[in-house]
Amino acid sequence: MSEHEPTPTPELVTVKIDGKEHQLPKGKNLLEALLDLGEDISYFCYHPGLSVAASCRQCLVGIRGSMVPSCQTTVSDGLELESQSPTVLDARRQMLEFTLVNHPVDCVICDKAGECTLQRHYMDWDGKPSEIDHEKVEKPKKVDVGREIVLDAERCILCSRCVRFCQEIAESPDLVFEYRGNHETLTTAPDRRLDNSYSLNTVDICPVGALTDKDFRFKIRVWELYATRSVCNGCAAGCDTEVHHRDGRIYRMVPPKDWDMNLNWMCDDGRRTYKSVAAQRLTRPLVDGEPAELDAALAAIKERLEPLLAQDRGAIGVVLGADASNEDNFMAARMAYDFLEAGHVYLADSPDNGLGDDILRRDDPNPNRAGARGCARGDLGSSEDLARDLADHKLEALYVVGDRLDLSDETLGQLRGLKLVVVQASEPSRLTDKAHVVLPAAKWAEVHGTITRTSERAKRDLSASRFGRMRPAVEPPGMARPHWDWLKRVGAVLGVTVEFESAHAVFQEMKKQVPFFAEAQWGGKIPTVMLRFAGRRG
Amino acid sequence: MPARTKVVTVKRGLWENLYLPEIVRGLGVTLKHFFINTLGPKSKRQIVTIDYPDVVRELPERYRGVHRLNTREDGSVRCTACMMCATICPANCIHIEAGERENPASRDIEKFPQVFEIDELVCVVCGLCVEACPCDAIRMDTHVHMPPVEHRKDAVLEKPELMSRGTKSIAVDGGAGPDWRDKYTDLGSLTQIYRPDHIERDRERPARR
Amino acid sequence: MGEIVIWALVKIAILFGFALNLSAVLTWMERRQSAMMQDRMGPVKANISGVTLWGLLHPLADALKLATKEDFVPPKAHKAIFVLAPLFAIAPVVMVFAVIPFAPPVCLKQLTAIAPRCVAPEHMQIARIDIGLLYVFAIASISVYGAALAGWASYNNYSLLGGLRASAQMLSYEITMGMALIGTFLVFGTLEPGELVLRQSTIAKWGIVQQPLGFILFFFAAIAETKRAPFDLPEGESEIVGYFVEYSGARFMTFFLGEFLEIVFVGCMVTTIFLGGWQAPGLAADGLHIFGLDLQLPHIAVVGLGLVTFTIKVFIVCFLQLAIRWSLPRMRYDQLMRLGWKGMLPASIINVIITAAVVLWMSSPVKG
Ligand code: SF4
Ligand code: SF4
Ligand code: SF4
Ligand code: SF4
Ligand code: FES
Repeated sequence: MSEHEPTPTPELVTVKIDGKEHQLPKGKNLLEALLDLGEDISYFCYHPGLSVAASCRQCLVGIRGSMVPSCQTTVSDGLELESQSPTVLDARRQMLEFTLVNHPVDCVICDKAGECTLQRHYMDWDGKPSEIDHEKVEKPKKVDVGREIVLDAERCILCSRCVRFCQEIAESPDLVFEYRGNHETLTTAPDRRLDNSYSLNTVDICPVGALTDKDFRFKIRVWELYATRSVCNGCAAGCDTEVHHRDGRIYRMVPPKDWDMNLNWMCDDGRRTYKSVAAQRLTRPLVDGEPAELDAALAAIKERLEPLLAQDRGAIGVVLGADASNEDNFMAARMAYDFLEAGHVYLADSPDNGLGDDILRRDDPNPNRAGARGCARGDLGSSEDLARDLADHKLEALYVVGDRLDLSDETLGQLRGLKLVVVQASEPSRLTDKAHVVLPAAKWAEVHGTITRTSERAKRDLSASRFGRMRPAVEPPGMARPHWDWLKRVGAVLGVTVEFESAHAVFQEMKKQVPFFAEAQWGGKIPTVMLRFAGRRG
Repeated sequence: MPARTKVVTVKRGLWENLYLPEIVRGLGVTLKHFFINTLGPKSKRQIVTIDYPDVVRELPERYRGVHRLNTREDGSVRCTACMMCATICPANCIHIEAGERENPASRDIEKFPQVFEIDELVCVVCGLCVEACPCDAIRMDTHVHMPPVEHRKDAVLEKPELMSRGTKSIAVDGGAGPDWRDKYTDLGSLTQIYRPDHIERDRERPARR
Repeated sequence: MGEIVIWALVKIAILFGFALNLSAVLTWMERRQSAMMQDRMGPVKANISGVTLWGLLHPLADALKLATKEDFVPPKAHKAIFVLAPLFAIAPVVMVFAVIPFAPPVCLKQLTAIAPRCVAPEHMQIARIDIGLLYVFAIASISVYGAALAGWASYNNYSLLGGLRASAQMLSYEITMGMALIGTFLVFGTLEPGELVLRQSTIAKWGIVQQPLGFILFFFAAIAETKRAPFDLPEGESEIVGYFVEYSGARFMTFFLGEFLEIVFVGCMVTTIFLGGWQAPGLAADGLHIFGLDLQLPHIAVVGLGLVTFTIKVFIVCFLQLAIRWSLPRMRYDQLMRLGWKGMLPASIINVIITAAVVLWMSSPVKG
C-alpha cells in the first residue's frame, strides 16, 4: 500500500476457516486478515492505527476448542479456526452482553447514537432485552476532561483506544484507567487534562459515546448529516477530511474513516476551521466601499485599469494567495504574466507559526503556499517587498487574490493613493476597507479545486498524494464566487476570451501548461452521502 | 419475488355491449336506494351521515388527536431531544432544537429540547412519532381535534402548549428496571398500554441471527 | 292586438315561471336526490329561523352567495367576449322554450263548457311555428358558441381545451339528435310541436311507442348535448377543468342556470315529442275516461289537467336525467366520440330507413 516503505510480498500460507481453506499472508494480524476476507467479526478495542490491547474480547474466534481474540493472533501455517460457528457466535454474544452490563444505554441523548459501534453490534448480533437483574454501577457523567472534550464514564466500555491514542499517536499520556473490575473508570492522568492538540481524535475512535466533542455536543444527530470529502485548509499539511453539513451549515470536520486506505487523523485546530466558513463574509461586490452589482464592479475595474494597460504595465502588481487553490493561483498567474504583463507579482501568506510537529501539523499555516509558488514564473515578492514598492511609488494598481495579505497601517494608507486596488477576498478586513473594488470570494468548503500539500506529510500518512482535492459542501453566500471565476470574468471584460467551464477545466489547462502540476490528479468523484446510511465511526 | 398477476378476461356479449340493459340495471340499484331512503320505512333507511357538528361521532379509543408532551415526576419535559420523532416524521413537521441543562444533578438527563414545535397543519397524523419515541414523551391520545386557525403560524404548536396537555408518563424514569412493577403497583387502566406479559413476550423474541 | 300581447305575456309568464322554478328546484334535487341514492343526507342546513324545508332553501342561499361573490375577469381575457359568453350560453336555451305546448288549446269564450269546439282556439305555446322543431334545432345549435367563446375568451389553456371538447361533442351529437327525430316526423307528418302532441292522443300513438329507438337515441343525444354525465367531459365538476373555470359569481351562475334550464328543456322536448305532451291516458276533450270512470269535466278543468300532466311528465324526465347522472360513470373522450359517430349515428340512420319503409308500406295502396 505504501509508496514510502515498500513491503516485501508476504508469504502465503493455508488457513482453514470454518472448514474452508484460504491463502493468507503469513504473520498478518488475524482479525485484519479475516476482515479482509469479508468475514463479519465484531470488535471494539482493535484499531488499525494503534497497538493491540485485546481488552474487549469481542473479536473471539475458536482455535482448537478455545476462544482466542483474533486481534492478538497472527496468521500462521496450518491454522484452523472457527469464525461463524454457533459456539463462537454465542461467545461473542455473551461478550457483548458482558460489555453492556454497566452500560447506561442512554442512546437517546448520546451523540454517538447512529454511528456507535456498540449500538451496531447490538442491533446486528443481539437485539434482546437485558437479562442483568442488578443495579448498574454508577460512574461520573459529564466530566469535563479537556479543552474540547466531555467524558461520560458510564458509557465507556474500557476499550483503551483513547488511552493508546494519547500515548502512541499524540505522545501525551493524558488518559488512564483507575480502579479495577466492575468499577474500572476512565479518567485523566494525575495533573493532566486531555488537552493535547490531537485530542478530538479520541472522540472519533471511541467506539461508543463516552468521549464527546463539546463543540458538536447536542447540535444535531449524526444521521441527519451529509458528508462531503474535502481537504483541511488549516495548515500546509492539507489533511483529507470529511465535512459534515446539513442545510448549508457545517457542523463538524472529521478525518475520513476509510482507515486502512488512508490512515488519517486530524488536529483539533484543523477541525475548527469550519467555523470561519460561516463567519462574517463578504456577499456582494463593493466599489469604493459601496455595494455594487456584479456588472458595475467589473465595469469599474475595466474603466480604471484600461488607461494603465495602455501606458505603464510595469506599475501593475498582482498578489497571489497562499490560501487560494492551485486553479485560482494559476488563473491569477496567467492574468499577471500573460495578460496584464504586470511588473510585480507577489505572494500573500501568513508567516510560519512554529506550531508544527512531526505528527501532522506543519509550521506553515497556509494551505497552498507551495501551489502558489508552483504557478509563479519567477520569484514572488513577499508582503515586505510589496510595502517597499508601495513606499517607492513603483505601483499604480494592485490586484489581490485571497485573504492573507496583511499590511501595516502605514502601507494600507498608501494604498488609497493608487489608481486601482482590487481585492478578491472572502471576509471583510482592513485591506478590503481600503480597496477600490472588492469581489466576494468563496471559501474552500464551497468550491471544487486542488491544493498542494508540502513535502513529506506525516509519517503515518501512507498514501496521501501531493495534491489534495476540495469539494463543495455548502453554497457560497450571496454573490460570492470562486477566485478563478472572478479572474475569468475580470479577464472577459478586459478582452481575454478564455472560457473555463469549471474548476476542473482550469485544472486540466494548468496540468498541461505548468510542469509543477504535471503529476497532479483531480481525484475521483466522491459523492456527498447522508450519514444515515454510513454505518459506524470509531 | 416476481409480482403475482392474475389475468381476468371479461367476456361481454351482445347484451352487455348494448349498454342499455346494464344502464337500466344500474339505475335500478341507485333508484332502489333512493326510494328506500325517501319513501321506505324509517327502519330500512340506510343514510349513514352523522349530522356533524350537531352530532359528534364518538372517537375510537386509539384516535390520534393533537400531540402532547409528557412530563417527568418533577414536572420537567420528558423529551430528551433525541430526534427520533423528527427523524421518522414523514411530513417533516417536527422541529426540535436541543439544549443542555446548565447544572444537572449527577443523575439528571443533560439533554432537553429548548425548542419543540410541531406544525399541525403539515402533520399527516400518522402517529409514527409516538411509535418512535423511546421516552414516552410524545403522545397523541388527547382526543383533541386540531381546531381551525386563522394564520398558518398559529398551527405551529410550541413546547408550552404541547406540555399543557401533557401528563406524567406511566413509564419509569431511567427505564423499566426489574423493580418497576413494585414502583407502580396501581397500574389500573395503564396495564392496557404495557402489560407485564409484554415483557415476557419481548424476552422470548428470538435474537436476530 | 292588445289581447294578443297580453296573452303572449301570460304564456311567457307561465312557461318561464315553470321553467325557472323547476330549474331552481333541480339544483336542490340534484344534490338531495344524489344524496339519497348514495345513502347520504345532502344539503339540509340552510334555514330561515330554523325552518329548513328539507333543504329547499339551498337554491336561494346559492343564488345569494353567487350573486354576492367577486366577479372576476382574468387580466388577459378578452373582456367583451368574456362578458358575453354566458349570455350566448343561456339565450338559446331560453329561446327554444317558445315552441313548447304546455297545455291543451283553450277556447277562451267557453271555459266552462264541456268539450267545446271553436274555430280558433288559443294554443298554449308562446309561438306556434309550422317548422317549430327545426327552429329548436336551429337555435340549439347556437348554444355551442357559449361554451366555445367562454373557453376562448378566458385566456386559459385549460378553458380553451374545455371549450374545444364542448364544441366537438355538441357538433357530433347534434347530428344524431336530428336524425333520431326524422323517424318521428315521418310517423306524425308534422314539425309543429303543438300538432305533434295533438296527434299522440292515445298511449299507442305516443312517440315512445311508435319510435322506441328514436326515443333512446334522442334522449341520450340530448344528454350529451346538455353536457351532463356520463358525457360531462367538457366540464366535469371537481375532476375536469372546463370552459367556465375562470367564471365566478353571477356569470358563473348564468352558466349554471343555463345547464339546469337545459335539463328542463330536454324534459319538455322528450315529453312533447315522445310522451304525448299534455295528453294523459283517458283525458279527452270532454273529461276523464279511465278505469271505467266517466267524468264529465268543464273545459277549464281539462286544460288544467293537461297542464298538470305536462308538468308531471317533465318532472319525471328531469328526475330520470338526474338519476342517470348519478348512476353512470363518465365516458372517456374517445369512447364518447366512438359512441356518437359509430354507434348512435348509424343507428339513427337505420331507424330513419326502417321507419320510412314501414310508413311507405303502411300507406301504400298495394297493402292488404
Ligand atoms: S455509546 Fe452507543 S450504546 Fe451507549 S448510549 Fe451511546 S449510542 Fe447508545
Ligand atoms: S472512552 Fe471510549 S475509547 Fe476510551 S476506553 Fe472508553 S470506550 Fe474506549
Ligand atoms: S403524527 Fe406523523 S406526521 Fe404528525 S408529527 Fe407525528 S410523525 Fe409527523
Ligand atoms: S422521540 Fe420522544 S424523546 Fe425523542 S425527541 Fe421526539 S419526543 Fe423527544
Ligand atoms: S478487538 Fe480483539 S480483543 Fe478487542
